[in-house]
Amino acid sequence: MAIASRPSPIAWLLAPALLLFVLFFVLPFGVMALMSFYSGNPATNSNAFLTTRHYERFVFDSAGIYHDALWATLRIGLITTIVSLLIGYPLAHWMARMQSRLGHALVLMAVIAPMLTGIVVRTFAWMTILQDKGVINTLLVDWGIVSKPLPLMYNEFGTVVALVHIYVPFMVLTLTGVIGRIDERLEQAARSLGAGRLRAFVEVTLPLSLPGILAGSLLVFALSISAYVTPSLMGGTDVLTLPMLIAQQVGTSFNPNFAGALGVVLLLVSLLIVIAYNRILARLSGEQGLA
Amino acid sequence: MTSATIKLDNVTKTFDGRVLAVDGVTLDIAAGEFFSLLGPSGCGKTTSLRMIAGFELPDSGRVHVAGRDITDLPVHKRDMGMVFQSYALFPHRTVAENVAFGLRMREVPKPDIARRVKAALAQVALTGLEDRKPGQLSGGQQQRVALARALVVEPPVLLCDEPLGALDRKLRQQMQFELKELQKRLGVTLVFVTHDQEEALAMSDRIAVMNHGKVEQVGAPTEIYERPRTRFVADFIGEINILEEGGRARALRPEKIRLVSDGARVSGTVDTANFLGGSTLLRVSIADGRSLLVRETHAGERASRLPGDAVGLAWNDADAVTLES
Repeated sequence: MAIASRPSPIAWLLAPALLLFVLFFVLPFGVMALMSFYSGNPATNSNAFLTTRHYERFVFDSAGIYHDALWATLRIGLITTIVSLLIGYPLAHWMARMQSRLGHALVLMAVIAPMLTGIVVRTFAWMTILQDKGVINTLLVDWGIVSKPLPLMYNEFGTVVALVHIYVPFMVLTLTGVIGRIDERLEQAARSLGAGRLRAFVEVTLPLSLPGILAGSLLVFALSISAYVTPSLMGGTDVLTLPMLIAQQVGTSFNPNFAGALGVVLLLVSLLIVIAYNRILARLSGEQGLA
Repeated sequence: MTSATIKLDNVTKTFDGRVLAVDGVTLDIAAGEFFSLLGPSGCGKTTSLRMIAGFELPDSGRVHVAGRDITDLPVHKRDMGMVFQSYALFPHRTVAENVAFGLRMREVPKPDIARRVKAALAQVALTGLEDRKPGQLSGGQQQRVALARALVVEPPVLLCDEPLGALDRKLRQQMQFELKELQKRLGVTLVFVTHDQEEALAMSDRIAVMNHGKVEQVGAPTEIYERPRTRFVADFIGEINILEEGGRARALRPEKIRLVSDGARVSGTVDTANFLGGSTLLRVSIADGRSLLVRETHAGERASRLPGDAVGLAWNDADAVTLES
C-alpha cells in the first residue's frame, strides 16, 4: 500500500534529536576529521593541502610523548573504572537491597548530591585535601607519622582519586538499576541449597549483574579518558593525557590539525573498546539467556 | 529418604520493632507429615516458614528440627529444600545446572551429580529439558524444576511457599496430586504455606490455620472443616452460617441444612440460587433480615429452586458446632 511506504508522522518526533545529533556530534566531528587531513585551515589558508602527516607524527612519535599520553590516558581510565566499580558495587548493592524507602532516598541523594557541584569546584576541593599543605599531609606531619608530605597530588594518584569521586555516581546509578531488578529470592534459593552468603552472591547475583557492571564500567571509562579539567588540575606536570595534549595543540601550539588527528585517534580507541565491550556483553548475555 | 520432626516453640517475630508478624506460635510437626500453614495474607504463615528455613531469626522462642535446636544455625547449614512462590530458578543457568546446584554446594563428585540430576528430572517428568533455560519453560515446568532442585539433595524437610499459586486452576489441581504423591513416596516432611483453603484441605495431613500471627487451630482437614474451633476458622474455611443462640455462636455448614416440607426449624424465601455444577448454593432469607446459605447437592437431576420460592429448612443439632468466643 502507498501509505506503508510513507514514513509514519510520528517519525517527525525524531527530528529534534536528529538535529541535535547532527549539529553537536556529526558536524563537529566531521570538521575535526577533515581538518586532521589538512596541512592548515583550508577555509582561511588557500595553500593548505591534503596530508596524512599528522597521523604519521602520532604513529612514528619520535619523542614517545604521544604514545605515552595515550597509554597514560588508558591507564588512568582503566584504574578509575576499576576503583569506581569496587566502591560503586557494594554501595549500589546496599542501595538496591534497602527495605526502607526513606533510607533509599537519602542514599540516592548522597550519591547524586556531588553531581550538583561543578567538576572544577570538586577538583579544587580535592586539592585542598591532598596538596602538600593540605588537610591530610598537615595532619600526618603534625602527628609525626611522616616526616615530609606524601605526594598525594600532581600525579596519577591524585588524578585518579578526583576522577573516581566524580564518576562513582554514574557507576552506582547504573548498577543500582540492574541489581534492583535481580530477585532477592534467587540468592535465598541458593542459600537454602547450601551456599553461604558469599558463595550465593558469587554464584547468582554477581553473574546476573554483569550487564550492569559492563555498562557502568563503559560509561566511567569513556568519561574518564575524555576528562580534561581534573587531570590538568590534579596531574600537575606529571600527568599528560590525550585530552590535555589536544588542548595544548589547540591553545598553545596553534596546531588544530594535529589536535584533530589526536581527537580522531582518541575516538577510534574509545570506539574499539566500546565494540569489544558490546561483544563481550552480547556473548555473556547470550550465555545467560538474558538477551 | 529420611524425614525429620519440626518443632516451633513459642516463636515470636516482630518487624521494624512494631509489626507483630508471628505471635507466640507453637507447632509440632511429625516426621513425614504433609503440614499446611493456612491463612489470609499477613497472618504470619510465610514468616513462620521463613523462620524454619532460617531466613528470619525469631525474636524469642526456639526452632527444633529432628530434636536439634537450629534456631541459630545459618540457612545453608540447615539442609532443607525450599520451593518459592516465584520458583526462584537461576535464570542464567540451564535446567540441569539449576538442579545440580545443591549437589555442587555439597561437593558431590561429578559423575554422581550427573546421575542424580537425571534421576531427579525423571522423577518430575522433565527428562529431555536438561539444556533449556528457565525462561524457555512453561510455568508448570518451572515449578517442577524448582521441586527437583529442592529434592535432589534429599532433604529431610521440604518447605513450600505457595508453590502452586502462580499456576492456572487445572494445572494446579494436577500438581496438587503429583506433589502429594511425591511427598508420600519420598516420605519427606513437607511444610506447605498457602492462602487457598481448598488446596490445604485437599493435600494436607494436618493444617494449622493462622490469623494475626497466632495459630487459631491445628487439625486434620476433616476436623478443621467439620469442627472449627473459632469463628475465624469457621469463616475462613468454606461457606458457613453463624447462628447466634443464647449468646453463643454456632457454626453450621450449608450442606448440613436440608430443604424440607414438613418439620422445618425455620422457613424462608430463596433470594438467589447459584448453580455451581455439582451443587447449588442457595441464599435463603429468614426472619429479621437474616439469611442462611444452603447447599443442595445434585444427585442425578438439577434442583429446581428458584428465587422467590418459599422453603422450609432443617438440620441436626449435632451439626451446629459451638464456637469459642
